[in-house]
Amino acid sequence: MADEPQLDNVPEATVVRRKRLRFSVIWIIPVLAAAVAIGLAIQRARSEGPVITITLKSAGGIEAGKTFIKYKDVRIGLVTAVELSEDFSKVVVKAKIAKHSAGLMVEDAKFWVVQPRISLEGISGLNTLLSGNYIGFQAGKSLEEQSAFTGLDEPPTVLDQPGRRFVLKARNLGSLGVGDPVYYRGILVGQVAAYNLVAEGKSVEITIFVDSPYDKYVTAETRFWNASGIDISVGADGVDIRTESLAALVAGGMAFDSPDYLPPAEPAAANTAFPLYRNRAIAMKQPDPIERRFVLYFNESVRGLSVGAPVTLYGLRVGEVAEVGLHYDAAKHTFRPRVLVTFFPDQVVGRMTAKQQVTNGKELTTYSKEARLSLLRQNVEERGLRGQLKTGSYLTGELYVAFEYFPDAPKPKLDWSRDPLELPVVAGGFANIEAKLSSILTKVDNMPLNAIGTEVKDALASLNQTLKEADKLVRNVDAQLVPEGTKTLEEMRRAMSSADRVLKNTDATLFGKDSPAPQDLRDTLQEVTRAARSVRILVDYLERHPEMLIRGKTEEKP
Amino acid sequence: MTATAATAAQAGLMSCEACQMLSRPAEPGHPAYCRRCGEELEFRHHGSIQKTWALIIAAAICYVPANLLPVMNTSRLGTSEADTILQGVEFLYASGSWPLALVVLIASVMIPIGKLIALGYLLVTVQRGSVTSNHERTRLYRLVEIIGRWSMLDVFVVTFTVAMVQLQPLMSVAPGPGVLFFAAVVVLTMLAAEIFDPRLIWDSAYPHQNGHG
Repeated sequence: MADEPQLDNVPEATVVRRKRLRFSVIWIIPVLAAAVAIGLAIQRARSEGPVITITLKSAGGIEAGKTFIKYKDVRIGLVTAVELSEDFSKVVVKAKIAKHSAGLMVEDAKFWVVQPRISLEGISGLNTLLSGNYIGFQAGKSLEEQSAFTGLDEPPTVLDQPGRRFVLKARNLGSLGVGDPVYYRGILVGQVAAYNLVAEGKSVEITIFVDSPYDKYVTAETRFWNASGIDISVGADGVDIRTESLAALVAGGMAFDSPDYLPPAEPAAANTAFPLYRNRAIAMKQPDPIERRFVLYFNESVRGLSVGAPVTLYGLRVGEVAEVGLHYDAAKHTFRPRVLVTFFPDQVVGRMTAKQQVTNGKELTTYSKEARLSLLRQNVEERGLRGQLKTGSYLTGELYVAFEYFPDAPKPKLDWSRDPLELPVVAGGFANIEAKLSSILTKVDNMPLNAIGTEVKDALASLNQTLKEADKLVRNVDAQLVPEGTKTLEEMRRAMSSADRVLKNTDATLFGKDSPAPQDLRDTLQEVTRAARSVRILVDYLERHPEMLIRGKTEEKP
Repeated sequence: MTATAATAAQAGLMSCEACQMLSRPAEPGHPAYCRRCGEELEFRHHGSIQKTWALIIAAAICYVPANLLPVMNTSRLGTSEADTILQGVEFLYASGSWPLALVVLIASVMIPIGKLIALGYLLVTVQRGSVTSNHERTRLYRLVEIIGRWSMLDVFVVTFTVAMVQLQPLMSVAPGPGVLFFAAVVVLTMLAAEIFDPRLIWDSAYPHQNGHG
């Protein structure tokens, strides 16, 4: 089959001469591929940022490869792994940070999980409903680089905004929470940033952040108070309801202000500590540096007199009740209510005119003890200064202590060397009324009502008799006087007709043709007509300008 | 068939790859064309081994980014997700459709690498002049050639999805850089299989009369 002649018949191929390359051009392909691949790898390696670990309490909604780390809504990293910590108590999230953001990974950078949050202050993180949770990031100021972080449980409330932090010290947190509003005159100016127990666990430190420019209103004299819920205080001053806003009412919050009576002060430095008062009234109360204490022993019920109730002088507040208790009189084996009052001389001075404050105020507050004592003694013994319990509110029965002058009061016997000094009292207010009422009632009680009743009965009987007699009398008059009366009337008629005649005569004489009377009368009548016209004009004018009666006639404007 | 002329090349003849016509080389060592159909005639593909090596090396290089880079970027309501082939497989498997995961894994991951390995193996055995299991190696080559185009399944799926899923604000799909490399792998391996001359497998079986290769 494979014979030579047959092979000879196979035609010859056409020849094309061409120089052969030792290496095929095709090697360009792998070189190119390698170049592209290496280029990509280098680019990737160069864009690769650091890998950080974030320790979180739980990995709610965090998925490796899907959850981003966002800073100002820009993705700066991607979670690459979510693992449990070695002791299984926490979640360790590993994340790859973009190269351009590597510089942000400093010591005080903050991470937290952003998830939808609905609170009274608003709804936040709604975008996570669609995009899934992400890890929020807040840049720090430190220059120390770090790769392991601990995530925050809650988003930091204060995000890189100008303003200042202040520390408030309170006995307890109340209903405050992180993110709760801080109000200044009803304007939302900041929020609660954090809170923690102080080391001994006896009080709470609340860090608040007041946004700029409102932070300048926080001065050394600023008072902070808890504005959570409604502040209803019922006292002898009446019922006082205050709330900063509806949100604060429901969710809590705090407010601050500076008392008006203090001169404006310099803005406080950041992180200044302030006390947090329970409510506005307490916070804004003037500090009373000088206080004098007196004790009053009443002889009536002090029910309704509470600590803090006002002490007034002529109705103006000059102090407050410091203590309400009982006093046991060993000699008489009796109890009496004991009321300790605090008197603030500054408040008395504050009530005086500015001029007097300068001239006399200083003296009054700086008097020596003896001078004060003699002044007081003079007031008490000669002018009759007495303490009295008065009802501040009949609705609540709150009492207060009023000092007033009773010049007729008997001179008290007091021990002027005691401390606190005892001041005399008089039964007051309601108790006084009660005493009067009871004395009236006693008098009413003592009236010989039965005797009076009998006498009245007798009187009524005799009155009845009298009336009967009067009746009789009237009948007699009827019988005897009526005929007489008729006669008299007839005579009267006669007299009248004669008078008529006389008048007619007079008429003729007076209004006769030649008599001067008609002329006079006409003149008079004309005068009267004129007068009447004037009156009409006056009345017209008055109608149009009733104010004339008050202001007088004014020039009519054209 | 005689022992002296087991291959056309050994008989000093060239067979046309297109029309199978045998030609006598007019001037050995230079390219020639089939007189009947004009196809270029060669005893063996010129530089077949070298070119195949070049192509499979290029394919192997491309195989790395093809698997590391995302092939598809899915944007769903603001969230964008970039998936590599293996992540897609993982997702399919995790979501319960393991047969589909298997299909994708085989078509997109195993077959390209299988082709590269098979071609590499063929090249190495041919270069070492292996004489064993020639039939198996030829069958392997045919398998590589037939199976090659099916690897484009992935590329097809991606292009199809990108074209179909364009619900702009709600959802959109964009091709990732990985798909380019993946297509490059497929194309390069197909070319490599094309350029590899299976006749070389048999040359070593009859080593005594060579000199044209």
